Amino acid sequence: MKRAVGFLVLFAAVVLGAATLVSLGVNPPQVGIRPLGRYYLENSYFGEPSPKSPEAVTAIVWDYRGLDTIYEVTVFFLAIMGGLAIFRLEKAEKKKSERPAELTLVVKLATKILAVLIIAVSASIALHGHLTPGGGFQGGTALAIAPLLILVAYSRYVLEEKGLTYIKAIIARSLSLVLILSVVLAPALYGYYLLQNQPFYPAEVSGQLVSGSLWFFNLFDYIAIGMGFTAIFLYLSIPEEVYKEELEAVKE
Amino acid sequence: MIEAFVWNMALLAIIAALGISIYGIVKKPNLVKKLIALTIFTDTVNLLVILIGYRVIYPVIPPVLPQITPSTLDYFVKHAVDPLPQAFVLTAVVISMAVNCLIAFAIIQVYRLYGTADARRMVEKAFPEERL
Repeated sequence: MKRAVGFLVLFAAVVLGAATLVSLGVNPPQVGIRPLGRYYLENSYFGEPSPKSPEAVTAIVWDYRGLDTIYEVTVFFLAIMGGLAIFRLEKAEKKKSERPAELTLVVKLATKILAVLIIAVSASIALHGHLTPGGGFQGGTALAIAPLLILVAYSRYVLEEKGLTYIKAIIARSLSLVLILSVVLAPALYGYYLLQNQPFYPAEVSGQLVSGSLWFFNLFDYIAIGMGFTAIFLYLSIPEEVYKEELEAVKE
Repeated sequence: MIEAFVWNMALLAIIAALGISIYGIVKKPNLVKKLIALTIFTDTVNLLVILIGYRVIYPVIPPVLPQITPSTLDYFVKHAVDPLPQAFVLTAVVISMAVNCLIAFAIIQVYRLYGTADARRMVEKAFPEERL
């Protein structure tokens, strides 16, 4: 009751405050665009020099402000590393002999179809990131949903029998981060600037617009983010008894 | 008129949500509830940044070239929203997701160690000789 009254008061304050601001004419809605945003819109494809990407957001993320994004990938790397360090296991898990209980056929079949669809959609989001809204980050987070669904509908043991263990996920993630770094460093070896896109990387490959390094960044970032979150989900699905044993061993 | 009202209401609602989420972070003793309040906080800040780049015009289009021909550029610049805040939010979303994962891992491990996610009882269990 008290909480409902509080929310009603807050809602009334928001509506009345908005009405007061409108009647005073203090804060008119924004119709224009800032000069910096205008520059990015004009130059993301037709400017000279330009990143040759019709998608202005991807052009900013991986070209104009590419260094920001590289450091951001570093923060992502450290955060995932920290999480995995908290959850690490000292010794390998013992193999379980009995199979866990299974869900119904409907759930399992629907998960199979959905997982394939999710992987296809996430790849299209990531690889068209320089043409349409989307990119490596969004595609990677969508990709991580597929193993999560399989984890819930089947079990971790099925995923590991198919070959996706957390060690492999971490290796795939680290490899694609190294590839991102090599895409950053490659122009510097040939006398260009670090992270330089356009004169060094080709804008078009056999008639298809790839926007230079943007396509490579999106691809490697897609794998890095997807595999990073997959590793997190795999660690989260380790049974609690395993950690209980570990903690008991630490206490003694 | 109605546009100005909705614009101001969105701004005030964002400020109210910021206040509520800060209250949740400070006041709620349960660590999981603190984490939920933190995610609300980051999402609200992202919404605020998106609002800063928005334009109240019709039609308003996303910052993606509709056709790759120089003649559409004029229409595009007149109607597209600011791409820079969207780029900031894109990086902020991924970072906040990774950091939330790290915090969730820490909370789970703390719960396994102390058997509680309540910040006050956790302190009592970790430092039994100190009285709060």
